[in-house]
Amino acid sequence: MILDLSEDAKEYGREALRAFETAGGDQLVQQAEAKPDLRESLAGPVLSELGAWELDARTDVDGLEAAAALCRSAGYWALPYPVAERLAKPIDLDVDGLIVVADNRPSGVVAGLESTWAAVSLDGTRSRVIGHGAAGPGFVTELELSAVDGNGTGDIALGLVLPCWTLLGMLDRALELTISHVSLRKQFGQQLSAFQGVQFQLTDAEVERSGVEILAKYALWSIATNRAEAIDDALALRMSAIEAAEVVFRVCHQLHGAVGFCDETTLSWLSRYSQPLRRLPLGLSATRDELTTRVGGTGLTGLFS
Amino acid sequence: MSMDFEMGQQATELRRELRDLVKTHVPEHYLGAFTDNPADLEIAQQFCRTLADRHLLCLAWPEEFGGGGASVWEQTVVREEMWAHHEPRGAQYMGVNWVGPIIMRHGTEEQQRKHLPPIARGEVIWCQGFSEPEAGSDLASLRTTARRDGDGWLVSGQKIWTSYATMAQWCFLLARTSKAEKKQQGLTIFLVPMDDPAIQVRPIRCMMGPHHLNEVFFDDLRVTEADVLGTVDAGWSIVQDVMSFERVGIARYARCERLLSAAPTVLADRWDGLPAELRARWVRMLTHCRRARLMAYRVVDLQSSGRIQPGDAAAYRIAVTKLDQDSAEVLMDIAAEVSHDDPRAKWFLGEVEDHWRYSQASTVSSGSIEMQRILLSRALLAGAK
Repeated sequence: MILDLSEDAKEYGREALRAFETAGGDQLVQQAEAKPDLRESLAGPVLSELGAWELDARTDVDGLEAAAALCRSAGYWALPYPVAERLAKPIDLDVDGLIVVADNRPSGVVAGLESTWAAVSLDGTRSRVIGHGAAGPGFVTELELSAVDGNGTGDIALGLVLPCWTLLGMLDRALELTISHVSLRKQFGQQLSAFQGVQFQLTDAEVERSGVEILAKYALWSIATNRAEAIDDALALRMSAIEAAEVVFRVCHQLHGAVGFCDETTLSWLSRYSQPLRRLPLGLSATRDELTTRVGGTGLTGLFS
Repeated sequence: MSMDFEMGQQATELRRELRDLVKTHVPEHYLGAFTDNPADLEIAQQFCRTLADRHLLCLAWPEEFGGGGASVWEQTVVREEMWAHHEPRGAQYMGVNWVGPIIMRHGTEEQQRKHLPPIARGEVIWCQGFSEPEAGSDLASLRTTARRDGDGWLVSGQKIWTSYATMAQWCFLLARTSKAEKKQQGLTIFLVPMDDPAIQVRPIRCMMGPHHLNEVFFDDLRVTEADVLGTVDAGWSIVQDVMSFERVGIARYARCERLLSAAPTVLADRWDGLPAELRARWVRMLTHCRRARLMAYRVVDLQSSGRIQPGDAAAYRIAVTKLDQDSAEVLMDIAAEVSHDDPRAKWFLGEVEDHWRYSQASTVSSGSIEMQRILLSRALLAGAK
């Protein structure tokens, strides 16, 4: 068994982390929020330099693992760009990226971008995005769709899994920031980290984060090996990732105290920009419902059943 | 190298073989060896002999000690399949899993000759004399003493929560042999026969079953140099070694998954009529089973490649013990929907009730969840920038 991304993919992820930091790091999302039309110019060049658009996440396993590593690094910096959606683009449609959408109010994080997009719903219906609504929080905009075909079943799993890698990167960062904070901040004459109540909250968050990490790898491998249950695996990952995000961000906000809500604190940005990843295309309950319906009484199948 | 979650052909074939053996030799109603029915103990004894005959009992042992030199993934399969089916090796699993390997590592040739063959044949039951009334998680605070007497020692004190003590032939005993600056120093491991009249065992009836927990009293038990494992006063390093063998621990997720997966079959065409919320909780638990399994595999992988760090196993241990309890609650709710007319209803209801009772101890036994949280938080904070 090989339970981790290849060394090349991990090195690519580390290179991306450094490149995003050099390109502006935490400032990027703040600048993009002020002017969403700048998203392309803020993130596009560094992604091009990293060769992001040459990655083949569809037919090349190395490209798929590198894409996952890139999404994780983008999440770490809350990069204000739909990297996962771009990397999930279908092979057979002339578009820049793919957005998995719900039937109700199909939406995506594409406000301020000029790219061309396809959308796929969970029943495999594919559409072209032909118009946007007004921009909402987190660069979310409702999408106007024009149906193309019903051949999108093979697009769904990747379209669900790569954004989970972005969310994983956000969880990595949120926890890292919180560990730093409780190690520095003193109350009652000692570091917050000396209190067992604080320590145990950290462990709750880490159990969730590390659980998502290994499920994300499994779901990626399920796609790489064309497993029949890849969509179920993707939904199981998504359900766990949303649950984990609830726990991790709740713990991280609590342990940061009031400063965690302030815009001078990175957690504040990560937390709010995690929202689209957690709610689109489906929130926790709807994701769980979708998975429950799909697996029926069979449950999760796979290697070990 | 790209990711690969396949265990390999040998491990897959071994899983199939073990499932076939369980199906053939272990009755469906079997809920472990430690019920009030002596026949259950006999089932375990016989199953050990069956495994030993096929060279499967000590599969994980090095070939030089008569083992199969199995890969870590084959060992994982054994752990999973045995726990999923109520550990049909009975208490012998402990001898095979760590008592034997620890004696291989620290024992004298005489101790190896004496103890390893009966363990390998599945003929002997060991108990672990560690916990005491005043020394649970804080094990090094134990008070059982072995005081020098002539060319040996006299052991006095009390152990508690000692599994299998009523049926064990041998005890892996930790006692204080000297006072030192640090409480972890001055401790020694003794291998002692349980039939000595200086040892008294008192069963503690409990919700996990009638033969799980016991008190063990030592009243001037005479031991000699020949009974010492390793070096006098240096027993704590062996304790650490025991812990490392137990790092992955019981494959609790395997039984959770087996029972959860069986639920729709038991309810048959009434499954879809269950409250949607209950079926959603069921799916959530299946996902948590997968999560715990994969986290266990990560620990196995790190340990086998020598990359494991303090705290690496703790996140898994927290996840899997909570899974045990959370899945037990969901299963109990599903069981409430089972009709006596449903196929295998009796089997399922018995299994689930047993699982719920047993799971209550998951976060307490073999290193409490609080200890795991302490280990994990230490590791997290050690990496603070």
